[in-house]
Amino acid sequence: MASTLSELTNKSITLLTCDGRLITGILLGYDQLQNLILKNSYEKVYSMDAPMEKVELGLFVVRGDNVAVISEVTATSTNGDREEEDEDVRAEPIPPIVQNVT
Amino acid sequence: ITLQLFFSFFKTLVGKEIAVELKNDVVLTGTLHSVDQYLNIKLTNVSVVNENRYPQLTALKNCFIRGSVVRYVQINPSDVDTELLQDATRKENSSEITAATTSSSVEVKS
Repeated sequence: MASTLSELTNKSITLLTCDGRLITGILLGYDQLQNLILKNSYEKVYSMDAPMEKVELGLFVVRGDNVAVISEVTATSTNGDREEEDEDVRAEPIPPIVQNVT
Repeated sequence: ITLQLFFSFFKTLVGKEIAVELKNDVVLTGTLHSVDQYLNIKLTNVSVVNENRYPQLTALKNCFIRGSVVRYVQINPSDVDTELLQDATRKENSSEITAATTSSSVEVKS
């Protein structure tokens, strides 16, 4: 019943961070706090004014506090065709996670 | 004292369709695959409600959602025995050490 990230290790994942960023990379490791290590990672930046921009990040460590959603990237969503479609996507930024509003 | 009640409750919903609303207003629907003690949720067969607003998320299929970012979990009423849940929460609240901390009256059913 344990909901762990073990099934996702060494797989390509897309991470939605608490500030609304989308980071894709290969999950090398994680811990109970959802601190993550990603390899070959890049950020996908979407905006309304320009096509999707990829920002290379390389080897990345993400602190668990900043993790919102982790999703597996399936082969069909990263093959040549889909990738091209994705580049033309225009979107509003994803809102940040709001916590502890006083 | 960890609250296992909702963890146990979510375990009964594994396999059911739920909608998870996150604190960033994104709503994801899918099948509950698993849950853990922190109420982290794993959903399979995910779809984003209002996909036009968030086209960046169309590729999401299975996701792991960190418990701390969940605002609401929407459940089909037919999947829940609300009477049982109310009873369980009442029992949980009466057995916790709330006597010293609560100022309002606590109804204890024996």
